[in-house]
Amino acid sequence: MPKNITVFTTNTCGYCLMVKKWLSAKGHTYEEVNLDTNPVRQQEAIALSGQLSVPITVITKQDDSKEVVIGYNPAKLAPAVA
Amino acid sequence: MTKAELHDVVMVGAGPAALAAALYTTREDIDTVLYEKGVIGGLAAITDWVDNYPGFPDGLAGLDLSEKLQKQAERFGADIRLGAVLKITDKGEVKELETTDGLIQAKTVLIATGSDYKKLGIPGEEEYYARGVHYCATCDGAFYREKRLVVVGGGNSAVQETIFLTRFASHIDLLVRGDTLRASEVLQQELKKYSDKVAVHFNTTTQKIVGKDNKVTGVQGVSTKNGKNVNFETDGVFVFIGLLPNTSFLEGSGIALDDIGMIRTGDNLETSMPGVFAAGDVRSGATMQIASATGEGATAALMIRKYLEPHTH
Repeated sequence: MPKNITVFTTNTCGYCLMVKKWLSAKGHTYEEVNLDTNPVRQQEAIALSGQLSVPITVITKQDDSKEVVIGYNPAKLAPAVA
Repeated sequence: MTKAELHDVVMVGAGPAALAAALYTTREDIDTVLYEKGVIGGLAAITDWVDNYPGFPDGLAGLDLSEKLQKQAERFGADIRLGAVLKITDKGEVKELETTDGLIQAKTVLIATGSDYKKLGIPGEEEYYARGVHYCATCDGAFYREKRLVVVGGGNSAVQETIFLTRFASHIDLLVRGDTLRASEVLQQELKKYSDKVAVHFNTTTQKIVGKDNKVTGVQGVSTKNGKNVNFETDGVFVFIGLLPNTSFLEGSGIALDDIGMIRTGDNLETSMPGVFAAGDVRSGATMQIASATGEGATAALMIRKYLEPHTH
């Protein structure tokens, strides 16, 4: 199990909703950073992903290493949160 | 070996067509499972605003409409699974579906996988994907506050999403290949309200996306009027040039497709594989409207019910 999970989202992003649904369905809790209500964290999102796109899911492992999954991609999310 | 689970109908996709079909089948007590590999609600869910779906006089966000369709289908027992169907094989009375969760069987199948936005296929497009080149304004528009954008396309999606992007961008160049917009008159009138921010460039093809230091800096095009090169400075490019059907997973299945890869059906929406139906944007002849997709979904559900009748005796 990861130490924590952060999902960067926007209000209108359908794929963000899917990431949140998928994490909940798999029993994971997460912190959501909404870039519409919290635009100051946009640079942090870009620095983490190297992309100008949400959703960005940051999984912090037990050893504090981080894995970043961009977009709604269950095939990448599943091993990352395992 | 565990026997594969068997369902009355498995729907591939959970966009408006499948969700409407599932509402009908579940209300007939037909055991219904849906597989969605992308977003529940399909392209409708990533569309900023929907003004032409009947019953909502003030319009509504595409995401809201999708959630309402989902809730309504689930209210009657639709089982929506987050996963993909990879292959469909005709085993006679049942169809075998290879999914990301393993093998399942179905007496009938509804393919409602919809379409995705086409790509331009030009230099720079892949290189700058998600780092300046985008296909989802509602996802990525927020990264362009007070930035310049180029939108490519002239249909409903291009105009609708251009209007959405004016919330963020300081200026938008809309590049249209033809000499008119193909978007609905209502959208064209709406677009005119944003003429201070949006410049429409007709007869302009898009040839190359250029950048520097890992960032998009411009778009190179050609005027089809005089053959001259035209350049647009920009921080990002959003592409809405039409749709491609999601049918690659049907390769080798024997299900007949038309010249552009859309699924051929008869009047009853049945494909060339008996017991397998298709509805919505993936069906050859589809009008690519949410309202017609839900209508086709309802029709497909009734055809599925009819198909199941003799098979349950």
